Amino acid sequence: MKKVFASLAFAFALGFTTVSGVYAADAGKVRVVHASPDAPAVDVYVNGELALENVAFKANSGYLDVPAGTHDVEVFANGSEYAEGEGVLQADLAVEAGKAYTVAAANTVDALEFVVAEDSMEVSEGKAKVRVGHLSPDAPAVDVGLVGGDALFSGAEFPGITDYAELDAGTYDLEIRLPDGTQVLPLGGTELAAGTVYSIFAVNSADELEVLALVDYESAGSPNGMPTTGLGTPDPLQNSWLLVMGGLILVVGASGFVWKKRVQN
Amino acid sequence: MFGKNAFKTKKLIFLSIVFLAGCSSAEDEVSIRSEDVDFTVKNPPAVSLSHQSAGENPVNAIKRESINPEKISIPAIGVEAVVQHLGIAKDGTMAVPDNIEEVSWFEPGYRPGQNGRAVIAGHVDGMDGPAVFWDLSQLRQGDRIIVEGGGEKLAFQVRAMESVQLEIADISAIFGYTSSPELVLITCSGTYNHSLGTREERLLVYASYIDE
Repeated sequence: MKKVFASLAFAFALGFTTVSGVYAADAGKVRVVHASPDAPAVDVYVNGELALENVAFKANSGYLDVPAGTHDVEVFANGSEYAEGEGVLQADLAVEAGKAYTVAAANTVDALEFVVAEDSMEVSEGKAKVRVGHLSPDAPAVDVGLVGGDALFSGAEFPGITDYAELDAGTYDLEIRLPDGTQVLPLGGTELAAGTVYSIFAVNSADELEVLALVDYESAGSPNGMPTTGLGTPDPLQNSWLLVMGGLILVVGASGFVWKKRVQN
Repeated sequence: MFGKNAFKTKKLIFLSIVFLAGCSSAEDEVSIRSEDVDFTVKNPPAVSLSHQSAGENPVNAIKRESINPEKISIPAIGVEAVVQHLGIAKDGTMAVPDNIEEVSWFEPGYRPGQNGRAVIAGHVDGMDGPAVFWDLSQLRQGDRIIVEGGGEKLAFQVRAMESVQLEIADISAIFGYTSSPELVLITCSGTYNHSLGTREERLLVYASYIDE
C-alpha cells in the first residue's frame, strides 16, 4: 500500500518536469548528487512530494526541469516516511529560469550538508570547460593540474566547487595532488571534448579518494524556427467555391423538381 | 401543397450543405488527426551510477557513443526512411527534404546517442496525399524508434507527444541539452494557415534512449 502511495506521489511530483518547450522558458534545471560516503541511499522530496527515490552514494539524477522559484528540498533515508521538516537535510533552493544547478549532499552522515553550485550551460567554440569539486570530508586541500606542470585549480578545499576554467579541447595528463606536489590521484589521458562542460568531483574518504565525473553541458546548434513539414496545401477558396456550386446545383435541382411537380399539378 | 414542396426544398438544401460540409472537413485530415494527441509518461528520472572499469579514467568513462543517422525505422506505423543530413534553411528554420519519402536530421544539433535532443523532421503530406510522417500522430507510449548509422543501431522509446502552436514552440528546449540521449520527431499538424503558408502547429514526439 505504501508503495502504491509512493508511486502516485512520485508521478505527481514529476508533474513539474515538462517535456515540452511550452513552459521551459520559466524553468531551470536541477541535478542532485549523493556525495556522502557513509550515508545510506536517500529519497529526495521537493515541496513535500517524492521527486527522487533510492539515490545511492555517487549516483546523480541528471538534470530535472524545475519551475523557477524557491523550492523546499528535503532528504530522507531511503524508504522512510515523509514528515515535513524532519528530513536529515533541508534547504530552500532558489531556482532561476534558464539556469542549471548541482545540489550535492556532502559530508559524513552525522554532519550532512548541501553543497550547491550554479552550472555552466555555455562554452566557447572548440573549447572545453572544467571545474573541480572537493567533496571528500576528511581530505586535505588539493591542487588539480598537469602532471609535471602547472596547477589548473589550486587549494580546492572541502566542501567547495571551483569556478570553471576554459581549456583547449584535447587530452591532458592530469592529477590531483597536494600543494607540495605529492600525487593523490592520477587522471592520465583525460580527454576533454570540444564544446563540453565537465564537473570533476573528488568524493569518498581521503584513504579511498575517487573521482566522480559529470557532464554539465554539451553545445550544439539550433535553428530559429520550426521546420515546414507539409507540402500539401488544402485550398479553402476552392473548397468554398465547390461548396457554393454544389449547393446551387442541388438547390436548382430541387427547385426544378418542385417546379416540374407544379406543372404536372 | 405549396408548403409541402417548400419543405422538400429546404430539406434538400439542408442535406446538400451537410453533405458538402462533410466533404470539406475530410479535406483536412491532418488537422483532425492531430487533435487531442498530447500525452506524456511520468517516468522516474533515471538515477545513474557511473560505471567504469577499474583503472579507467572516470572522465573518459562518461563519454557516450553517438551516430550520424542514415536510416530510421518506426515499426508501429510502418515507417522506414532514409535520413538526410540538413541544417538551417535560408529563412532560419530547420531545413526539410524536398521529397515526401525521406526525413531530415538537424545536423548542427545533437547526434542520436549523444546527451541532448537529436531532432528528425519529415513531411506529413505531399501535394497528392500522405507523406513519410503521415501516421506520426498514431504513435503510442512505448513504441520503438530505431535509428541506424555507421553500422550501429540505437533504440528509442516514445515517451511523450504534443501538438504545439508555432508561436509558442520553445525552439531552444526542443533542440536543447538533456542529461541523457533523446530523440525528437517533428511533423506538421493543426490547421493550414494560408497567410503563413504552413500549418499552425507542429507535432512533437519525444523518445528516450534505451540502452540494450
